[in-house]
Amino acid sequence: MSEKIYAWLLRLYPSHFRKAYGYEALQLFRDRARDEKGFFPSLRLWLELLADLAISVPHVYCHVRPELIGASAQQRSDGVPSFHVLEGELPHPGALLFGGVLALVTLGGFPILLSHAGNNATSQQSFSQPPAPPQKTQDATRTNDRTAAGAPELDAALRHSVIAKAIEYLKQYYIYPEVAQQTADALLAHERSGDDDAATDGAAFAQLLTRQMNDVSHDGQLIMVYQPVRMPERPPRPTSEEIAQYRREMEANRCTFQKVEVLPHNIGYIKLNSFPDPSVCRAKAAAAMASLNNADAIIFDLRDNRGGSATTVALLATYLFDHPTHLNDFYDRGANSTEESWTLPPIPGNKLSDKPAYVLTSATSFSAAEGFSYDLKMLKRATLVGETTSGRSHMGMAHQIDDHFMIRVPGIRVINPISKTNWEGTGVEPDVKVKAADALETAKKLAQSKLQKK
Amino acid sequence: MPKRKLSPLPSAAFQILLSLVDEDLHGYGIMRQVAHQTGGRMRLGPGTLYSSIQSLLEDRLIEEVDLREDAKLGHQRRRYYRLTSTGRKLARSEAERLADLLRVARAKKILRGDYV
Repeated sequence: MSEKIYAWLLRLYPSHFRKAYGYEALQLFRDRARDEKGFFPSLRLWLELLADLAISVPHVYCHVRPELIGASAQQRSDGVPSFHVLEGELPHPGALLFGGVLALVTLGGFPILLSHAGNNATSQQSFSQPPAPPQKTQDATRTNDRTAAGAPELDAALRHSVIAKAIEYLKQYYIYPEVAQQTADALLAHERSGDDDAATDGAAFAQLLTRQMNDVSHDGQLIMVYQPVRMPERPPRPTSEEIAQYRREMEANRCTFQKVEVLPHNIGYIKLNSFPDPSVCRAKAAAAMASLNNADAIIFDLRDNRGGSATTVALLATYLFDHPTHLNDFYDRGANSTEESWTLPPIPGNKLSDKPAYVLTSATSFSAAEGFSYDLKMLKRATLVGETTSGRSHMGMAHQIDDHFMIRVPGIRVINPISKTNWEGTGVEPDVKVKAADALETAKKLAQSKLQKK
Repeated sequence: MPKRKLSPLPSAAFQILLSLVDEDLHGYGIMRQVAHQTGGRMRLGPGTLYSSIQSLLEDRLIEEVDLREDAKLGHQRRRYYRLTSTGRKLARSEAERLADLLRVARAKKILRGDYV
């Protein structure tokens, strides 16, 4: 709740500032809120935040640099439609009024929020502090809350059954068997030495187990999740209704091919925001590539791509090769099997297989987008331009432990045939490092100079 | 030529430069280091911190380094900042200026005790 209030207050800052630092400001707030718990520290935190707003908002508005405004104006003339808005020098009076009222409401409502937050204190245990033993009176209140929500009380027996089941899934599915074993041993050791005894709250227990697992595995994707309401049984495969819904969504937004166009100097440009399922989007992907078949170079813009299907990765990569090419192996620990991913046989009439290719990346390019970038980089088939990607290559499944707990276990590992490894944790490094916002311009220039040399 | 935001160097910006002398830090790391080195007197809020960081970046006194995880703070990747050689020089000259000021103050005996 308090995070939402702060997120609203951040709207007082000009958009260029929010765009550059909004996420980090919110992260800083989250860090402080986590570390400064209790009535007085929270009160001090909020007073400091309000004072900080009062000082820094006018400061940020007064110091907008003229050349920055000029720069955003220039970006409009490059032929790509965009929604850059020139910053006014001063905030809108309405925004100031809104901010003032919101600040007063926040200050006024603060004691109420604090007293409410007190009841949930253990559910927000910090990463760096061990859980405090709950006081008896609070504990009784929480037990009632849980009973009302239909969750059983978390006692030693229930904790043990959650740990036992978690270990079973870990050993069965986790990509690295030795790490799975070490993590399992650590969970049992913590349980034996009484480290878990204080956790009578489901969320705190899940967070505690996640931390215990991470301490050993150093894998942030190995996560215990607690849901206070019973989780509905999910069928193992998507229902026909879900598939129909997905098809409607994909048709409505052109299978996330946000832009497919030929830029000046005959450079093909595709902005793709996911790798959609080929069963729905194969034709759309083929049409997009066909429309750029006569381009002299091609740019894949994956800066806003959130991942998706490995089959679509291979399908699109096919256009860049004149022979079937080995992209990746997927090792599935649970099934103890390896699946190879190859591009398809060459597409008749395709002219892009020997054209210069560029992939634009950002720090948020995710999963399959990183796979596409990594594969082409390893094969030296494309030049990557932009930022180091987010660094998720392992794929995982959530396994249900009981009605409330589930564990996410990374179970599939990508093994690139050239590097013999993947980009998990490190991200994919671009060949040309520039800010994501500048990546398109940079790639256009690189393509132009390459084409001129020919 | 726009007016330099950092002339004279605001105290928050100076403290941020000092906080980065020994190691690269992310935003929250800078905030904690500044609180530590000022004995808790200066606790930078997000707005002041990031507007100062923005100015320092624009004047190339600090630079961004890659996103990294801070194992102590969970698994989110954070943007780290590093002092540039220009930033280091500026921090040194600012420290010298303050030392001069301190010498004057001491000569005028407005400070109690010999060691401040």
